[in-house]
Amino acid sequence: MNEIVAIQLPQLLLALLFIIMAQVTSMIWHLGLNRDITIGALRTVSQLFLMGYALTFIFRAESLPLTVGIFVVMVVSAVFIVKGRVRERDVPYLLPTFLTMVTSYFLTALFVSYAIVGVTPWWEPRYFIPTAGMVIGNSMSALAISIERLFSQMRQQRELIEMKLSLGADFREASSEIFRSAVKAGMIPSINAMMGVGLVFLPGMMSGQILAGTDPLIAIRYQIVVMFMLVGSTALSSIIVMLVIRRRCFGSGEELLLSQR
Amino acid sequence: MEMIDLSFSYPGAARPVFSRLDLSISEGDLILVQGASGCGKSTLLRLACRLNAPSSGTIRFRGTDVTMIPPAELRTRICLVAQIPQMMDASVAGNLLLPFSFSANRSKKEPTRARLQEMLREFYLQDLTLEQSALKLSTGQKQRLALMRAILQEPDLLLLDEPTSALDKESASMIFSILERLNSQDGKTILLVTHSDYTPAGPKVRGFEFRNGNLLFQS
Repeated sequence: MNEIVAIQLPQLLLALLFIIMAQVTSMIWHLGLNRDITIGALRTVSQLFLMGYALTFIFRAESLPLTVGIFVVMVVSAVFIVKGRVRERDVPYLLPTFLTMVTSYFLTALFVSYAIVGVTPWWEPRYFIPTAGMVIGNSMSALAISIERLFSQMRQQRELIEMKLSLGADFREASSEIFRSAVKAGMIPSINAMMGVGLVFLPGMMSGQILAGTDPLIAIRYQIVVMFMLVGSTALSSIIVMLVIRRRCFGSGEELLLSQR
Repeated sequence: MEMIDLSFSYPGAARPVFSRLDLSISEGDLILVQGASGCGKSTLLRLACRLNAPSSGTIRFRGTDVTMIPPAELRTRICLVAQIPQMMDASVAGNLLLPFSFSANRSKKEPTRARLQEMLREFYLQDLTLEQSALKLSTGQKQRLALMRAILQEPDLLLLDEPTSALDKESASMIFSILERLNSQDGKTILLVTHSDYTPAGPKVRGFEFRNGNLLFQS
């Protein structure tokens, strides 16, 4: 295999042309995205550089508390991103979402790094953190879609839910269709990704490994594990979070707490 | 049913919708509650079947505090028909049999098609077929269908929220004649709120007016 070609600073700056291209497009077509593109580009550079230095430090330190600490920080950040996308004030959902995310992602990352990849110790940061990162990133988007869909549909279909409750449905029966459609909406991107992988696109992790000189036949095995892991962890975390949040949408008398907007 | 010392306020509202309200409903009663829009009539019904929780006070049903009865079971016995009738995207039969798909109604026997046809006639809906879509019906037809759906569960108390508010005079009089028949012939207990000036006939009819958060006995 060839040695990896490191990207030097001048070449990195050359990549800014892509950002300029996006800025020009936004200006010509009055998309109003210039500010967001600038902030996004600055955040990409600063966050990734920060993460790069942090990872270098963490990989060298090889400390269990540090690895778990970084994992928790990643989940907390993900919860706040979900909060930003879901504007809901009536039902407190952040704590159950956080607890479910921590538990399910931890178990998934542990299973992959320890049982499938076979790393010892199980928390070896070089494996555990990127694995957890992929799980968190993918599942966070799914959760944001599902939670947002659940709340908006519950509000939109408030009268229909109350009609079912009035006829003797319990809260699960009254909201079963909305629940199913919300969970499905969150899971569809992961399932579609399984359909398109290798044909329509090469995933980032696999491309990264190949660019770094890994044999493509090894890279695809990692990618297969990752794809399965993402679907499984998304399903697990979505179902648990949604079950908890759905219950919180109803009071002790199984009355719907969400008011219409 | 007994409502004792009942108060209700919306969260953050300066004034309660009503406070320290008492109402007693006996078997076979037809209680009519009238009053201006927004005076709290609908809230009273929602509290009775626990679609809202009172700020304070107690509601007893057959001597038991309603909070001690599982909510789904309570709502098969105290059944609310909302002001705007809600239908599923299903046939007339599918909508009428909906309650029987819920676990709280599992022990009840599903009505036969012949019984449904017979009831359609009793509710002046003989022109409908059981197979046609319920979503395409007029508001008056949906209102009668919603009432029929509630009756099919054989609740002990029927709560009706402005059942004629969106109807023309003819459809409204159909609903009222159905209600009078249900009460006087079948002995159904009904709590009806309306802002129309309808006065039902029957030996166990009692009328109240909701004014300034108080229920004033009229007749």
